[in-house]
Amino acid sequence: MYRYDEFDTQIVKERVEQFRGQVARRLSGELKEDEFKPLRLQNGVYLQLHAYMLRIAIPYGQLSPRQMRKLAHIARTYDRGYGHFTTRQNIQFNWVALKDIPDVLAELAEVEMHAIQTSGNCIRNVTSDHYAGATKDEVMDPRPWCEIIRQWSTFHPEFAFLPRKFKIAVTAAEHDRAAIKVHDIGLNMRRKDGEVGFEVHVGGGQGRTPHIAAKVSDFVPESELLDYLEAIMRVYNRFGRRDNKYKARIKILVSETGEDEFRKLVEEEFAAQRDAEKIALPQEEIDRIHAYFEPPKLAGKDAVSEAFDKAKTADAAFARWTRANLHDHKVEGYTTVTVSLKPLGVAAGDATDAQMDVMADVAEAYGHGDLRVSHAQNIVLPHVALDDVYELYRKLDAAGLATPNEGLISDMIVCPGLDYCNLANARSIPVGMAIQEAFSDPDDQADIGKFHINISGCINACGHHHVGHVGILGVDRKGEEYYQITLGGRADEKATIGQMAGPGLKADDVPVALKRLVDRYRELRTSKDETFIETFEREGMEPFKDAIYAGA
Amino acid sequence: MTSVRPKLKPDQPKAVTAWDTATGKVVWMADDGSWSDDPARIGVFIGEEADTRLEQASRQEGTVTDPYFMQVTETGDVDGRETLRESIRVNGPTVHPQFQRGAK
Repeated sequence: MYRYDEFDTQIVKERVEQFRGQVARRLSGELKEDEFKPLRLQNGVYLQLHAYMLRIAIPYGQLSPRQMRKLAHIARTYDRGYGHFTTRQNIQFNWVALKDIPDVLAELAEVEMHAIQTSGNCIRNVTSDHYAGATKDEVMDPRPWCEIIRQWSTFHPEFAFLPRKFKIAVTAAEHDRAAIKVHDIGLNMRRKDGEVGFEVHVGGGQGRTPHIAAKVSDFVPESELLDYLEAIMRVYNRFGRRDNKYKARIKILVSETGEDEFRKLVEEEFAAQRDAEKIALPQEEIDRIHAYFEPPKLAGKDAVSEAFDKAKTADAAFARWTRANLHDHKVEGYTTVTVSLKPLGVAAGDATDAQMDVMADVAEAYGHGDLRVSHAQNIVLPHVALDDVYELYRKLDAAGLATPNEGLISDMIVCPGLDYCNLANARSIPVGMAIQEAFSDPDDQADIGKFHINISGCINACGHHHVGHVGILGVDRKGEEYYQITLGGRADEKATIGQMAGPGLKADDVPVALKRLVDRYRELRTSKDETFIETFEREGMEPFKDAIYAGA
Repeated sequence: MTSVRPKLKPDQPKAVTAWDTATGKVVWMADDGSWSDDPARIGVFIGEEADTRLEQASRQEGTVTDPYFMQVTETGDVDGRETLRESIRVNGPTVHPQFQRGAK
């Protein structure tokens, strides 16, 4: 993974001390909240319902065991013994005191971490495929380019005060696990005539006006990527609306301008820039960054592991877990393991300090020191030998980290909702827990198959409800919580915004309505191989809508 | 302002709530104008006195952040449209019993 050079170290250190001074001035009353708020947001500090919340950047979701242990230490020392992994592959601490935050940031700097680009109207932390560098279905490892984009965007003077926040996601795989079409810019790495480049999508997003991104270029060569991104940013910075917060995202600009006109504006800016001020990224710099992401040296193994197969035969729970939580690795004899942070009765994405330590330990012992945060709020160990999987499983199981549900109905994306968030209108976590309870039988979950439920506690859609196969949006009706159901959303290469099924339901009615929905899916599916989303796309809304409201 | 909350009528009983600036803890103004994180000490204000109290709170920038009116009953219980939100602020998150106020 990328390691800081002396410039990175210096910048982060200076930033911590700068913020320490700002916090001191705030605590003395010299800075008022209105003055301090933009400063704290630039350092990832929010004020939530119960306390300050600190959001820490995990660039493209990659962590070392040392960094994970530092997060465990912060949870234990400065928070309440846990952290919350987010859909942007970051981590949040929900109870940290403002007076302690400079010390927390200083501790993070020791392990090359910070909270920059996790808030405010800047280019945010770049996200990517959590299987990057390990999966069979990628053209190449996207992380070097994520890192190059990170370095280009961090403190870019021209883009420090954008009309609104700006999110970039990069994938290089056939199957999009980074949800690139619901990002402000989504990049899909491609190979064309032996050359590597990027398919560029712009103007995707969720929130109150969800949009699927428009494809603005089929292929931008690597050597021109930063110029092309800069051209997009300049068009956005110039024409993006600043008069209305709700219309300030680039998705609105693309939509109001029209895809063709927007593409023309970008191409004109790109051409002008190429002539006048091309970003000449030296090849040696590109090579230097790539060198940080060299694949681990994996010892040659047979494709079949006797130890692995034997353990599956002997231990049914292990066998079930392997069916759900393993993903094919590009090297024979290895696999990619998902550590589910969605056990029954736990808020999605939460991990205790002790669990973080365990994940660091097992990553070191069995995972070549590599951990990833997925946008579905789980942790991934990308490179594990099949021979080691059973031992790894037993250690995870002992720590409550071996829930066999990756991609299944209980593996939900859930925002913090009204239990924590200052913007939320309704609670999300209890609804998610009630659904988990309703589908708690692991055999039942396995029978249902791939099924993505996403829950948001308000229209800002942090829980990605628009792109859940089933989306659940909490709303407030005269002080009472109701939940609107959308169906048919997806965040992958066939990204689609879900359609509203009908009137909102009370919280208690949601799990039973979903039970009926799932029963209807089982009746309608052509075989167990047909997933819910495939059945929905074949059958349409009506049979499922009828099922949801059958009790009404 | 971090919180933009619904406007309350002058004759409605109100509490003044905010966050402790240094720690972020939820606090309420007590009858004597001091700040407390103990909901049992919530002060109930009404009419012009309430406006005066909120104005006083907004001048204590180093101590508290973002003060606003919270609707309460005459005895200081959470009331009105935002009962759920404010009850969660009073009691703690409903999903983490270990972090609820008074939990050991």
